[in-house]
Amino acid sequence: MLELLQHEVQYLALSIMGIAYISKIFWILHFKPMKERTPAKGSHSKAIIASYFCIALPWTMESTIKKWYKWLEFSVFHIGIAIAIIASFLIPEAKHLMTPNVILIFQIIIAISFFVLLIRLTRRIFSPVNRLISHPDDYFSLFLMIIWFFVAFFAMNMDEGSIFFSSYFILTALLIVYVPFSKMSHYILWPFSRYYFGKHFGHRGTYPKIRQ
Amino acid sequence: MHKVINKSEKAKNAEESFKKKMNRQAILSFGVCVHCGMCTESCHYYLATKDPKMAPAYKADRVRKLYKKYFDWTGRLLPKWVGGDEFNTDDDLTELMDIVYGSCTMCRRCSFNCPMGVDKALLMRTGRAILTEQGIAPQGIIDVSEDQWKIGNQMGISTDDFLETIEWLNDELKTELDDPSAEIPIDKPNCNIIYAVNPREIKYAPMSLLAIAKIFHVANESWTMASKGWDNTNFGLFSGDNKLGAYMGNLVYDSVERLNGNMLVTSECGHGYRATAWESPNWAARDLNFRIYNVLEIITDYVKSGRIKLDKSLNQFKVTYHDPCNLGRSGGITEEPRYLINRSVSDYREMYPNRADNFCCTGGGGAMSMGEYSKRRLETAIVKADQLRATGADIVATACHNCVDGLTDLIKFYKLKMKVSLVGELVADALVYQKMYKVPEIKPEEITQYKVLVIDDEPDVIMYLTALLEDNGYKTISAATNEEALTQLDKEHPDLITLDLIMPGKSGLTFYHTLRTNAQYKGIPVVIVSGVNPENPGQYDSRSFIYQHSLPRPEGYIEKPVNKELLLMTIEKILELKNK
Ligand code: SF4
Ligand code: SF4
Repeated sequence: MLELLQHEVQYLALSIMGIAYISKIFWILHFKPMKERTPAKGSHSKAIIASYFCIALPWTMESTIKKWYKWLEFSVFHIGIAIAIIASFLIPEAKHLMTPNVILIFQIIIAISFFVLLIRLTRRIFSPVNRLISHPDDYFSLFLMIIWFFVAFFAMNMDEGSIFFSSYFILTALLIVYVPFSKMSHYILWPFSRYYFGKHFGHRGTYPKIRQ
Repeated sequence: MHKVINKSEKAKNAEESFKKKMNRQAILSFGVCVHCGMCTESCHYYLATKDPKMAPAYKADRVRKLYKKYFDWTGRLLPKWVGGDEFNTDDDLTELMDIVYGSCTMCRRCSFNCPMGVDKALLMRTGRAILTEQGIAPQGIIDVSEDQWKIGNQMGISTDDFLETIEWLNDELKTELDDPSAEIPIDKPNCNIIYAVNPREIKYAPMSLLAIAKIFHVANESWTMASKGWDNTNFGLFSGDNKLGAYMGNLVYDSVERLNGNMLVTSECGHGYRATAWESPNWAARDLNFRIYNVLEIITDYVKSGRIKLDKSLNQFKVTYHDPCNLGRSGGITEEPRYLINRSVSDYREMYPNRADNFCCTGGGGAMSMGEYSKRRLETAIVKADQLRATGADIVATACHNCVDGLTDLIKFYKLKMKVSLVGELVADALVYQKMYKVPEIKPEEITQYKVLVIDDEPDVIMYLTALLEDNGYKTISAATNEEALTQLDKEHPDLITLDLIMPGKSGLTFYHTLRTNAQYKGIPVVIVSGVNPENPGQYDSRSFIYQHSLPRPEGYIEKPVNKELLLMTIEKILELKNK
């Protein structure tokens, strides 16, 4: 059963996600882009690169300067997601790499991510603006991730008999399947949207921003 | 079982129109928002009101709900799960109008603060577009768009009036420069520059055109204006009507081709520059064989290449600069105005935040033509007012006529000690050539014949205006109430009226209505000399009736506190043109 969860179920989930992602890319591409008919004032390539890097360079946006803690939260839990996903491959495929030190680092990051997401859930519920702009999908996605981090933390103990261990693989599969149909599909839209943002404003010469 | 909803015809059409408007950039901006709220504090509507419904993501969701319902994969099956919804009634559309027109100036400040790259202005404009197609928009937007469609410019100025005004401006230019060769050429073929302006410069603010004409003359530029296709403004940008956007763009592009100009240059108008230089070629699907510049780019080149010389000691003021959203954030012109102001004034001080991070003047997105939202606009202007106050400047320079209006309104509303000026006017005042100017001579025999009726409820204002006009050779009579004014009209037969709109009892607006609907008084030119009512800013929003013209527009329009030169120039222009 555990074997099935760690391999076949994961591959099935990944295949579904892969198909959904590829379909989504085709779906995006079937919409015609607006084209610029004028010569550019700025550089498209510089602007597109700056546009992608804006999330790594928090000092380039007023919002991330002022809400640096949100940027930190964002960075931490995205690293947490990457770690928890990597672990779901390492455990069945390269168990020898899961040394005690690696496990400890993974657990620390996953634990922090868990708490960060708890903070974000609290904010979504109690901050008037966040509550107003939230839909069931926003709560559900967050909730799913919180549970996932919770079980992932204990699953890292590598106790195959534990309920957390099997739950971790079940949840990972569920998450992978749900992602393309939820707000979490921003993963696939983001590279495109930042590309066009950079291109549009780079064309007009306003991006990358001129520093004050 | 399906719930049967009787959708209104307009709601149905609006949804259909929405579906047709989706392109790649739109679906990305609609789809990628994660509702993180990072953009919330970048919006002046939210900052000023702290109302969660003013958060950019919430406002965008009012349009996004259609995307979620009809395009989102999950939303098609479970719309409520992802915030999808439909429009069912005309009221739904009116509610949307309040959001997309009344709560967003499409300044794009929030877009620059979104880690996902959501262009909220694109979403808002899509919302505006689907409403415009159903005939739903603020009255000012509808009226001005109609003028652009029918007459080819936003102030409904006829070609004759345009040419007469240019002729009058030519006389002013010759006198000011003391040079008979100085002129504003019209329809001159094969020039380097075809210059397009904001019609406000023809109708109400000729000083800015005069300033640029002076600079062009001193730089010995080969330039002309076109008698057709001279309006660089474009209400298609505001209403989301790409067809109007293309039409207005084509009018100016055609004029460049017809006159075989080398380049098209737009005046100090933020949205005009953005629409003409960046958007209209896309809307019109037209590849141009000439370049488009803003006039500040051209003047910067003059200064850099030594074609004109500036003396900053001629402008001894503390000056700051407001970046118009459409010129800066959406247009790419942020350094040229700074370069010019730095060389034109003795004390330049930066405003923070600035450039692409600057706050909107609150009059963007066509807001100045929407009287119904003036109150909200001025409330949200506190953000801009604080920004201005912190500079300690005497003058806020900007490069957009719309911003001039927006800033003037808020300066008055928040009682700031500050004036607004266009960059071009500061540059013209700093022109070294100006030292050779002769003060224009007042020829009393030419002007004493005119009698001006000053209507204002404040005795101080009456005293000031009558003294100013008499010092400049006019005969004056005055009235403090509408009743008195009517008596004076019948008795004295004035040649022109200056009218305050905010008066006790019957408002000046009612009186204006009487003037314009009564055959006896219809022909008397009126210059509105008014301001914002601090108690109720939306009540007599004089600007809104300049745009919403159920009545003919006034011949002149001057903001209080009165700019002497502008008032005298406006009166002189109206009376001379009338006399011709
Ligand atoms: S628009 Fe951008 S910043 Fe604003 S809530 Fe959506 S993703 Fe966050
Ligand atoms: S575009 Fe400007 S006015 Fe509109 S929501 Fe964004 S910040 Fe606010």
